[in-house]
Amino acid sequence: MKEKNTATAESAAGRQPCDPSWAWAPFVPDARRPWDLRLAGHLYRRAGFGGTWAELRQSLADGPQKSIDKLLRPASDVAAFEQKFAAADAQAARSGSAEGLRAWWLLRMLETPHPLLEKLTLFWHGHFAVTQARIQNAQLVHRYLKLLRAGALGRFDRLLETIVCEPAVLVGLDGAANRRATPSRSYAAGLVGPFTLGDGGCSDHDLAEAARAATGQFVRQDEFLFVQREHDPGVKRFLGEEGPWKTADIVRIVLRRPAVARRIVGKLYRWLVSEAEPPCDALLEPLVASFSRDYDTGRLVETMLRSNLFFSPAAYRQRIKGPVEFALGILRPLEALVATAALAEHAAALGQNLLHPPTIHGWEGGRAWITRATLTGRTNLAHALLCGGGAFAEPADPLAVAQEHGRGELAATGPFLLDLFLQGDAPQGAAAVVAKGVSQPGDPRQQARRAAFDIVTLPEFQLC
Amino acid sequence: MPANRRDFLRRALGASTLLGMSPTIPEFLCRAAQAAESRPSDDETVLVVIQLAGGNDGLNTVVPYADDHYARSRHTLRLTAKDVLKIDGLLGFHPGMAAFARLFQEGRLTVVQGVGYPHPDQSHERSMRIWQTARPGDPNAQTGWLGGAADVLWRSAQADVPAVFVGRIAQPFTLHARTAIVPSVRDAEDCTLRVVPRDAGVPPAAKCAGETPAPQSTLLEHVQRAAAAACVASRKIQQAIAAPAAVEYPPLPLSETLHSIARLIRADVGIRIYHTELGGEPPGGFDTHANQRDNHASLLRQLSQSAGAFIDDLRRGGLLDRVLLMTFSEFGRTLSENGRRGTDHGSAAPMFLAGGKLRGGLVGPHPDLSQTEQGGVRHHTDFRRVYAAILDRWLGLDSRAILGGEFPPLELFSR
Repeated sequence: MKEKNTATAESAAGRQPCDPSWAWAPFVPDARRPWDLRLAGHLYRRAGFGGTWAELRQSLADGPQKSIDKLLRPASDVAAFEQKFAAADAQAARSGSAEGLRAWWLLRMLETPHPLLEKLTLFWHGHFAVTQARIQNAQLVHRYLKLLRAGALGRFDRLLETIVCEPAVLVGLDGAANRRATPSRSYAAGLVGPFTLGDGGCSDHDLAEAARAATGQFVRQDEFLFVQREHDPGVKRFLGEEGPWKTADIVRIVLRRPAVARRIVGKLYRWLVSEAEPPCDALLEPLVASFSRDYDTGRLVETMLRSNLFFSPAAYRQRIKGPVEFALGILRPLEALVATAALAEHAAALGQNLLHPPTIHGWEGGRAWITRATLTGRTNLAHALLCGGGAFAEPADPLAVAQEHGRGELAATGPFLLDLFLQGDAPQGAAAVVAKGVSQPGDPRQQARRAAFDIVTLPEFQLC
Repeated sequence: MPANRRDFLRRALGASTLLGMSPTIPEFLCRAAQAAESRPSDDETVLVVIQLAGGNDGLNTVVPYADDHYARSRHTLRLTAKDVLKIDGLLGFHPGMAAFARLFQEGRLTVVQGVGYPHPDQSHERSMRIWQTARPGDPNAQTGWLGGAADVLWRSAQADVPAVFVGRIAQPFTLHARTAIVPSVRDAEDCTLRVVPRDAGVPPAAKCAGETPAPQSTLLEHVQRAAAAACVASRKIQQAIAAPAAVEYPPLPLSETLHSIARLIRADVGIRIYHTELGGEPPGGFDTHANQRDNHASLLRQLSQSAGAFIDDLRRGGLLDRVLLMTFSEFGRTLSENGRRGTDHGSAAPMFLAGGKLRGGLVGPHPDLSQTEQGGVRHHTDFRRVYAAILDRWLGLDSRAILGGEFPPLELFSR
C-alpha cells in the first residue's frame, strides 16, 4: 500500500496536536487524508476487536461517519443476541464458576454484533476493578458485569450511583458489613479514589468522613441491605460540605468536582485514542466541560471516535493491544470460534485475567503489557490458535477465509492476510517474507496458517 | 558497521529471511539485542523462594531432641538422638534431611529459628496471606511482598521480567503485583518460543539505511525491543536446557522444578525472583493432622534432596554466589500431638536459607518450649526481619517501602 508510510512520518514529525477545535471536529476525508482500508482497520480495532473482511469492505464503502453510526447503533439484532447470552451467563453464574462466566464473556466479545459495547464494558471493568478472588461469588460477579454492560455507554453518574451499592463491589472492597463502630476504609478509599477522584484526590479526613457516611451498608443473602442502626447519622464534613451524609450524598458531592470528569475523560482518551503521550489539558478541556454537564459516556465516546484526532497519526497505532484484544484480533477477522475457557486462561497468563483485575487500580495497560515473557507467550498463543496444538484442537483456517473472498490462489493469499490483519500497513520486508512463505511448496492450508502466524507476530500487530 | 550489525543480529536472533534482505538494522534494536545477549550479570542477585503449604512442623524438621518438653509432648512422632542428624547437643535435622545437614556443615545453609509474628493467626488462609503480603494488620493488602518487589524492579527498568512462578498450582499471592506481569510456567521450556516467527521481530531497515533513525513510534520501538529480547532469551534458555546437568536431580516434582530454575538462572535472562512450592495447593501437604510421620518425612526428604541437588548444581556452575534460596510456611505446629498421630496448627517455626553468600549456622536461639503460644512455639524473630534482610541486602531494594514499615534486617550474609 502506498499510503502506509505517511502516518508514521507525520507522527514522528508532528507533536501532539493541541488544537481542540480541530481535534474534536468530525473527520471528513479529503485528498490528503483519504478514507482507506488502513483507517477502517484502525476504527474496527478501537471500537471493537478487529474487523472481518466484509466489515472492512463495507466500511470502505460507507465512509467513516456512517461506519461509526453502525458501530454505535448496530443494525443487526442485538436484542436477540443479548437474550441468548444473558441466558448463558446466568447459567454459568448459577453453576458458581467464575471460569464459566469468564469464558462466556470472551465468547460474547468474539461473536457480538455490538463490539463497542463489550469494549466499553471491559473499560469499566478495569475502572471499577473488583475481583472475583475477593468476591468469591459468581452470581454477584455476574450481576456486576451486567450492570457494567447496561451502563457502559450510558451515564457515568448513574453507573456510579448503582455500582457503589452493588453487592459485588461492597464485598470486593471489604465493605459488606459496614458497621458504625468500624467504618470500612477500603470501601471509601475505592469510592473517592480509583472510582472517582483517583488516589490522593482528597484528604485523609475526607476519606474518613466518606467511610462514616457509608456505614450501615451490608450484603445479606447476596442483596444490598441498609441497616439504620449501624449507620452513623452524625454530621460529616466531606470536601467542604457538611451534612448527615450517606453514600448517595458522597457520590453527589464528589460528582460536582471537575476532577472526576477530567479523570474519566483522560482514561477514555487513553483507552480509545492514544496511550503514547498524555494529552495536553487544553486538548481535553472541551470534552471535560461537556462530560461534566451530564456524564454522558455514549456522547463522549461518539465524539472521540468521530474526531479528526482519532483518525490522525496522533492516534493511529498509538495503543498497545491488551491480551484479550490481541487474541480476538486474530480470531475475529478470521471469523473463528475457539474454546474460550482455554483462551481465558491464556489471557490470564499474559497478564489479563478477566474478572480478576490485579488491584483496585485495574490493569496498567500500555507498555506494561509487553515484556519479553508476554511477547513469548503471545507468540506461542498465536501459534496455538492458528496452527493448533495445546488447548485449541481446531485451529483457525485462514485459507478458507481467503477463498471465501476470492483470494485463495497461491499468490493472493499472503497479501490478502496482510490486508486483513494489518490493512497492508506492514514493513516491506514482512510482505516479502509472507508472500515467499505462501508460495513455497507444501499444503496450502498450512502455508496460509504459517503466513497468518508470521503476520500476527509482527510488532505492528501488537499495536491497536 | 551495518554488515557487522547484521551478522551479529543474525547470530543473536537465529536469523530470518527478512534480515537477509535488510541493508541495515536500526541502531536501537541492535543495542537491545546486544544488551539481551551479554548482560552485566555478575552482581545481579537471584532469590528463589519455596512455599511449604499447610504449616510445616518445625519441631520435627529441626528437632530439639534433647529438650524434655519436646520429648514429653510427642508420643508417636518423637525423634530421638539416635534418629536425628545432629547439629549440636540440643538440635538435629530430621533423618530424611541428609543434604540439608551436609549443606549446614559446609556453611551454605542457615537456620533462622523461632520465626513468626505477633498474635499468630491459626487459619491456613489468613496466616498464609500474612506471610505472602507481610501485612499482618491488613487482610485487604493488594499485593504480595515479592509482587511489590517485582513492581519496583519493573518500574525502575531494572528488569523486564523481574519475577516468575515455576510450578503447577495457581500462582501464590506472594507474587501478586500491581503493574508487573509475573508469568507462571511449569518448566523452562514454557519460557521459550515454540516457533520463531520468520520475521523475528526485526523491523525493516531498507528505509533507514545509513545514519538516520527509522521514523518509528516509540510504542512500536518498545514492542520491537521486547521482541528482539524475547528471541535472544528464548535461544539462551534453549541452550541452557540442552546443556548436560552437572549433577543428578532426583526424580521428584520439586527437584524437577528446581532444575528448571537452575536452567533459567544459567540462561542469564535477568529474572531476579523465582518462586516455587512444595505441598501443593493450600491448605497443602504439610497440614499433618493425622498420621504425620511418613507423610512429613517424605516431604522433608523431597525438600532436602531437591534443594541439595539444586545448590550443588549452582555451585559447580559457579553461580551459587549469586543465588539465595528461602523456604517459608504459614505456621508451625503444636508442640503436643493430637491423639491422631498428628499435630495441629501452631505458630512459630524455623526458616531455611541456602546459598553461597550466607554466614551459615543457626540464627537465634531455639525457642523456649516451656512457654507455648496457642499450643505452638512462641516466636522471637519477626519474619519481616528476614524479608527485610533479603530485600535490602540481597536484592538491593528498599524494604521499608515494600514492607510498609521498618524491620531491622537480620545479619544473614557474609561480607
